[in-house]
Parts: sequence; structure tokens; C-alpha cells
Amino acid sequence: MTEKKISYEAARDELAEVVSQLEGGQASLEESLALWERGESLAKICQEWLDGAKAKLDAVKKDA
Amino acid sequence: MLETSAEKPLSVRVISEAIGDYISKLGAVWIEGELSEVTVRPGAPMVFMRLRDTSADMSLSIMCHKSVLDSVEPLPQNARVVMHSKVSWYSKNGSLSMSVKEIRQVGVGELLARLELLKSNFASEGLFDIDRKKALPFLPKKVGLICGRNSDAEKDVVENAKRRWPAVEFEIREVAVQGSAAVVEVSAALRELDADPDVDVIIITRGGGSFEDLLPFSDESLVRLVSESTTPIVSAIGHEKDSPLLDLVADYRASTPTDAGKRVVPDVAEELTKIRNLQDRAARHITNYIDFELHRLENIRSRPILKDPMTIVSIRKDVLDSLSSRSLRSIDGRVALAQEELTNLRTQVRTLSPQATLDRGYAVVLTRDGSIVRKASSLKAGEKIAIRVAQGVVAATTDGIAPDEN
Repeated sequence: MTEKKISYEAARDELAEVVSQLEGGQASLEESLALWERGESLAKICQEWLDGAKAKLDAVKKDA
Repeated sequence: MLETSAEKPLSVRVISEAIGDYISKLGAVWIEGELSEVTVRPGAPMVFMRLRDTSADMSLSIMCHKSVLDSVEPLPQNARVVMHSKVSWYSKNGSLSMSVKEIRQVGVGELLARLELLKSNFASEGLFDIDRKKALPFLPKKVGLICGRNSDAEKDVVENAKRRWPAVEFEIREVAVQGSAAVVEVSAALRELDADPDVDVIIITRGGGSFEDLLPFSDESLVRLVSESTTPIVSAIGHEKDSPLLDLVADYRASTPTDAGKRVVPDVAEELTKIRNLQDRAARHITNYIDFELHRLENIRSRPILKDPMTIVSIRKDVLDSLSSRSLRSIDGRVALAQEELTNLRTQVRTLSPQATLDRGYAVVLTRDGSIVRKASSLKAGEKIAIRVAQGVVAATTDGIAPDEN
């Protein structure tokens, strides 16, 4: 089952929220670990979006 | 109407005279037209010439006496004239002739006045109104061009257009651009090009010339035709100072054929540069956006909590360590306290113990079963006793009771 990848902006905004919660220090150990995992996964999605966009632009620039 | 039939024909004379009557009803008329083909034979009294209609392809053969022609100032080629003439039927041999009694040149002043009248009529009809003028197409499929044969005007238009847009396609109609044929030919070319759906704009052009030369381009029928055309029309007639009525009714008046050629096509090189610039701007914008977001992402990922997530654990470990050592310290303290207590108690015990008394030199006498002897009389002579001194125990036997000295 593959879920539709969330948009760049959605991932970026959620990542900011996760980091804010982690830095707040209110979460339990278990919650903190879960948050951290989610953060890593979101960062990866963001990176993929931006790297993909860059690759597209470079490909067009080469043809132009 | 004469009644005739194959059985009841009329004679030549009757018919000829009838024709003569019919024609004489026309009487003498003033006719205006262009004078051409003036044939003067030396010695001959009569001169033959042709009078052409200024707009239509029609003419009349005219005859006049040399003196009539001489009375008019020397006429230029294709001069516009009015003549007072009479049609005569020569019944002797049945020929028609037009004879001229008087010829007058239509002066430039007269022509100008007529033009002014035409102009104000057209203006009040609204033919020159700005909102009637159609916009020229940006990139025409084909450009219609009506011009003179082998003219500089044609070259100027085509060269200048091609310089701006090398791929421009022309539909060229070379026609008469002065004289009586001009209006007819220009009109025919205009109708043809206007009907062609591929022709998106039409240029009508000719080089400079005299007032008379340019007159066809102020012709009423031609001006009306231009005002009714569905294709936009560009007029480039003569020089800057010339202003035939065509200039006023056209959708755009070019100052020269060169101007017309430039106006109907875009400068393709310039347009490509504009497009290129827009492309670059778009590319730059998107690149900036991506770079900005990459930086933002980098910043988030550099936050300590993500860069070194071990802090989630280490923070708690530190708390744990701190608690451990506190508890350890606490226990140590308690033990030390207990130790001190013990030491105190031991000292107390020591102090309270009989050893001190024994150390002072006293001894404790014990019977064989370990009970302490307080009364000497409780012992018999020869009883085995133990004497505990400060250090050690003496085994002894009693000799008996000694006299008490106290």
C-alpha cells in the first residue's frame, strides 16, 4: 500500500511543528522518540521534493 | 417604338433618320474625363482624341477642330478636362461622331475644391472615424500588397518587412497606380485580396507623384470600397506631404512604403528576446524559490534536536545520573551517621563495662558454676574458685575465711 505523498508545503509545516514540540521538552520519552522518527521521515520527504524540482529545472536548462 | 417586321421592313433612310432623331435628343453636353491619344496630323484641320472615364474602363472617341485644341493652354499627358460636345449622326454613311466645341482643363484649384467637398461628405458620413479603424494583426498569415509594376515602393515594403520577419508571406498585385486604369485595377485587386481569408492585412502603396497622379487614390468609389473592406488596410501613398483621401479612410496611414513594411510585421528578433527574457525570469523565480526552501530545510535539520537526537536520551540519562548520585550520597550520609552512633554507643558501653573497674585493680571472684562471690562466708575452705583480674583468670582454692580488717 503506497499512500499519496504529501505536498512539500504540508511536510515542511508539519516538520516545523514537530521540532517545536521536541524542543518544548514536554513530551514523554516514548512520545519524543515517536516525534523524532516522524521528523526524520518528513525531512526526507521535503528533501526529495526539492531535489526532484532542482533536477527538473537542470534538465530543462540543459535543453534550452 | 417603330413597328417593323420581316414582311413590313422600313427603309435605310427612315431608320437612319430615326437614329439621327434619337441621338439629337441628347443634345450638347459637358463631359469630364481624361484626355488621351491626342493625334494631330500636320496640315489636317481635325484632331482625333480619346476621352477616358476617370474611374471606369470606358472611353469615347472625340473629334475636334484644331483651333479648339489650340485655344486651351498646352495640355499635359492625360489631362483632366471638361468639354462641351455634341453627338452627331452623319446619316449619309451612318456614323456617329462626337464633336467638341470647347475644351477646358479642370484646374488643380477646381479639383482641390471637389476633393474638399468629397472629404467633408465622407467625414460627416463617419468614414474617417477613429473607432471605425481596425487594429493591424500582430503576426499576419499573409500580407496583401497592391503596388505599381517594378516600383521602388514594392521593394521598400517587402525588404523592410522581411528584415523584421524573414518568414513573412506576401500576396502581391502589381497594378496601374496612375491614370484612368488605376481606380479599376486597384479596386479589383483590393476586392480579391479582401476576399482571401489568408490575407490578414493589405498595404496599398505607390511612390511620389503629381497631384493628378495621385488623384485615383482620392476617388470616391475606391474610398468607399476601402471603408467597406473587412481586412485592415494600410495606406502608403506618395510622400509625407501628400494626403489623398485613402490615407484618411485607411486603418493605418504609413508615412512611407518603408514605414508600412515595418508596421505590418513584428520585429521577430526583438520578440524572441522578449520571450527569452520572460523565460529567464520565470526560471530565476522558481530557482530562487527552491534555493530558499532548501536553506529553510537545512536550517530546520541543523536544529540540535534533529542533528543530535541522542539528547532525547542523554537529557533523561543526566537526570537519572543526578538522581542516582543524590540517592547514593543520601545513603552514604545515613551510613556515616549510623556509624557514628555505633561508635558512640560502643564508647558508652565500654565506659559502663566492668573492665574499667578491673583495670583499676579490682578482681571478681567466681564460683565453679560461674556465679559471683560477694560473701566470703559463702565459700568453704578448699573450694575451687576462679578469680577474674583485669587480664586473665586465676584458678584458686580457698584457704578459708580471713579475719576482716574493716
